[in-house]
Amino acid sequence: MTEIKQVRLSGFGGQGVVLAGLLLGQAGVFDGKDISGSNSYGAQARGSGCKSEIVFSDGPVDFPHLTIADILIAMSQGAYNTYCTDVREESGLILYDQGFVTPKDNLKVKHLGIPATEVSVKRLKNRQVSNIVFVGALIEATRIVSPGAIRKAISMHVSERFRPLNLKALRVGMELGREFNG
Amino acid sequence: MPFRWVKSPFPKGTYYFSGNEAAAEGAIAAGCRFYAGYPITPSSELMERMAVRLKEVGGVFIQMEDEIASISAVIGASWAGAKAMTATSGPGFSLMQESIGYAAFTETPGVIVDVQRAGPCTGQATKVGSGDIMQAKWGSHGDYQVIALSPWSSQEMYDLTLRAFNLSEQYRVPAMVMADEAIGHLRETIRVAPKVEVWDRKKKRGTASFDIKEEDGVPPMAAFGEGERLSVTGSTHDAYGFRKTDDPEVHARLVGRINKKILNHKRSIIETEDYLLEDAEIAVIAYGFTARTSLYAVKRLRKEGKNIGMLRLKTLWPFPDERVAEVGKKVNRIMVPEMNLGQVAGEIKKCVPCDVISLTQTNGEVIEPEFLIETLKKI
Repeated sequence: MTEIKQVRLSGFGGQGVVLAGLLLGQAGVFDGKDISGSNSYGAQARGSGCKSEIVFSDGPVDFPHLTIADILIAMSQGAYNTYCTDVREESGLILYDQGFVTPKDNLKVKHLGIPATEVSVKRLKNRQVSNIVFVGALIEATRIVSPGAIRKAISMHVSERFRPLNLKALRVGMELGREFNG
Repeated sequence: MPFRWVKSPFPKGTYYFSGNEAAAEGAIAAGCRFYAGYPITPSSELMERMAVRLKEVGGVFIQMEDEIASISAVIGASWAGAKAMTATSGPGFSLMQESIGYAAFTETPGVIVDVQRAGPCTGQATKVGSGDIMQAKWGSHGDYQVIALSPWSSQEMYDLTLRAFNLSEQYRVPAMVMADEAIGHLRETIRVAPKVEVWDRKKKRGTASFDIKEEDGVPPMAAFGEGERLSVTGSTHDAYGFRKTDDPEVHARLVGRINKKILNHKRSIIETEDYLLEDAEIAVIAYGFTARTSLYAVKRLRKEGKNIGMLRLKTLWPFPDERVAEVGKKVNRIMVPEMNLGQVAGEIKKCVPCDVISLTQTNGEVIEPEFLIETLKKI
């Protein structure tokens, strides 16, 4: 039986949702998985709803789009409200930005609040790396891809100028994931 | 033999490419060294990658003023001896039709990737559709043939673009890759082999470029600058390319040959795939992205005990009528889900005696599995 994990990253345009999806998918390929990734964003470059969906599989994927999320990353309240009910009950996981999202208390899904934007601003001095903080927390909490693969993916797709910052954001995210997971 | 194995210019391995990027790599692997195009969503990433890659492999890249100029430049480059391509979407594909007829009649190899979006007209640029299937076959006037392939994954954007070049060279005919937005923008694991199979157009010094007595009907093709006497015209022409605009025999022979050279080789051009069809009472016939939805739906319904299978059309033109007819004899019903108002369903109805149900969707979205499953449950 082919094991499939479906991940949906969501937020608003400009938060780096598409880049985070690209990095996770690329890391999955480095780990030898069959990946199908697709993005959806409004015609506007910034501010509109944005999502990136990645299907991780041990074998060929029939339908390449997400059917139900095993993991949801919600970087905005709007994204959370839209997608929180479309997560697999019991085994599912929602990671949300503590600063932006007030979670609902009636869902049968495990929630992890990550202060991603707060640590990006305070510790990393750049609010634009909250997406990578989420990626780090996700990896630590789920091991959906290996830490080595995600570092390689960052080196491949992030320009040299921002690479150290992104790798640092990844480390911080992984620390947060450990903290909240443990 | 004009067929050979060549080392893939892209290192063997696995990659995470979008369909559009993969198509560009497939073209480079096939030996494409000329690209002329005008960017259009949702095909632009293909052009962007060609701009980078052709420079790396020593090819030529030109951004033209529009799609008419783009296809014309491709035809010119092909007659200069290059393997050439362009990519576009519906609005640009419409503009190219006149010159596609010219390419078919002058037997000019060349590849056009059409990343279909929601039409008609400018429609919804970022949304998906597959409304250009009939246009690919009938877009220009007169009787002619083209080859059109239908990829269902990023991997096949690589494989089928490469194959489109090979078929185009082998049969001296425009070949089209009828992708759609969902496939063009889908990122997937791609496996690049160390070696790829490549065809080059036949060449024979001192022979006519526009007629041949041999069975296959494909004459050798000279290029300008090789020292051959060469004239290329979209008017009816004899074996050496001289205009013959009032000789009924020459016209009938030429039109007959450019059609027969494709139709007589249908069996080697056409590719289809069977899924769970052995004992099926219902067959889904699908192509492009919708075949992914269909396979998912068919597998789910099988688990629920429904005798259902799928025939996937990898080649759309020439139409796989023989295989469709075989399937039509064995099943009671055929369902054809499409992101248009039933363009391929109409072709299928011509081939089979059984019921054909056309499931159409033209809202700019892909057909979702649950919708297809529920619809299939009712038949």
